[in-house]
Amino acid sequence: MLSPILLYGACALGAVGVMLALPRKTVSPFAIGVLVAAAAFGLALVGLGVSAAQMGAGHLPNIHFYIFSGIALFGALRLITHPRPVYAALYFILTILSSCGLYLILSAEFMAFALVIVYAGAILITYLFVIMLATEGPSADAVEALADYDRAAREPLLATVCGFLLLASLVTILGSGSASLKADPKLALDGQAKLMLMPTRVETILRNARDGVGNPLMKSGDKIARNAQGLPEMKLTGDDRFVKVARAGGNVDTIAATDLPATLKLENVEGVAFSLIGEHPGAIEIAGVILLMAMLGAVVLARKKVEMDDAAKKTAAGRNLVDPALGPASGSGGAA
Amino acid sequence: MTDLLTIAQAAMPAPMPGITLYHYLVVSAIMFALGLIGFLTRRNLIIMFLCTELMFQAAGIALIAFSRFHLNHTGETFVIFVLTVAAAEAAMALALVVLLFRRKETLDASGWSEMQG
Repeated sequence: MLSPILLYGACALGAVGVMLALPRKTVSPFAIGVLVAAAAFGLALVGLGVSAAQMGAGHLPNIHFYIFSGIALFGALRLITHPRPVYAALYFILTILSSCGLYLILSAEFMAFALVIVYAGAILITYLFVIMLATEGPSADAVEALADYDRAAREPLLATVCGFLLLASLVTILGSGSASLKADPKLALDGQAKLMLMPTRVETILRNARDGVGNPLMKSGDKIARNAQGLPEMKLTGDDRFVKVARAGGNVDTIAATDLPATLKLENVEGVAFSLIGEHPGAIEIAGVILLMAMLGAVVLARKKVEMDDAAKKTAAGRNLVDPALGPASGSGGAA
Repeated sequence: MTDLLTIAQAAMPAPMPGITLYHYLVVSAIMFALGLIGFLTRRNLIIMFLCTELMFQAAGIALIAFSRFHLNHTGETFVIFVLTVAAAEAAMALALVVLLFRRKETLDASGWSEMQG
């Protein structure tokens, strides 16, 4: 864990940096602020690394963790300090992409790719569209001019103090909490139990796996043996794991635990699917309703009422009607 | 240096030590605090809503880290729902932004201040 002096020092330094970096009306010491805040975050991360290194090699996170979290925090810092909304949105995409790296380190591949597609691909593009739609065009004499509300932050001192007080207390509490938290290694076997529900998947893995001599564990005609009830004869948890294979020739072989490949485990996507569809089916329905309501609400809010008198309506409607005299002739002309 | 895919594939069967969980929680907390500061200080509505997205993102990192720590996928499933709520929120927020811009020709959040119950 971080030592308290380092923790609160880094928080104070970060607060000063963020406050300096926030846009203000007079000349703002922008670059200095970003540098100071980046130094504070760097200090915190280095402190974390040093304290973890003292605990031993197994407690050190991967080097990629420092790279990705550094980029993510830099992107977040620039997002809240950049005066131009378009750049803020682009820096947010940077934050998203580096969080995807963090997700990959945490072995959540599915969520990493979903994040790229949904956040960086869909939500942020919508933001960019709205920024384009809802910004005054630049006037001829001031192309680079910023709007007044973009140029100055509101209450930078108060907000920064609040935010960093929250951060300091959060980090303190999280530190004492996560030190006493214990993970249960038995839960890892849960995935193997779920794999037993998917005999076809096990067959595919065994077809692709090679034994010590280089032959596939199952050939094309082989199937996993079934017992009298039609259930596959295999056991994938514990030390006495086995899979019984009915060969194409008719005899039944047993693949013992020592021969089973290391790839015989539940993939991340399959685990998420079991959790999503199997354990939270009601929540998916509710998510669908939320999205539908949001869509309806957005349409109602952003709708533009067009005022038209009757004559204008007739003209507008007439534009779409096909003249009966000209219609067929132009149609046959097009076909010919 | 081992590549990312190897790390991702080798990670799940072994539990993550608590001190490593703390690293991810600290990153998540810093990101959340930055989002909060941005939401409080910036006056442009679009940037304010981007900051709420940043706070969602911070919560997502914490959820995924807990999911990996406890070796089950419930945390990841909840990030899917966070994503859903974020998408719904973005749709509503941007509709509000377009509405405000059409009425007041500004993106300043104090443009809403004359709104009466």
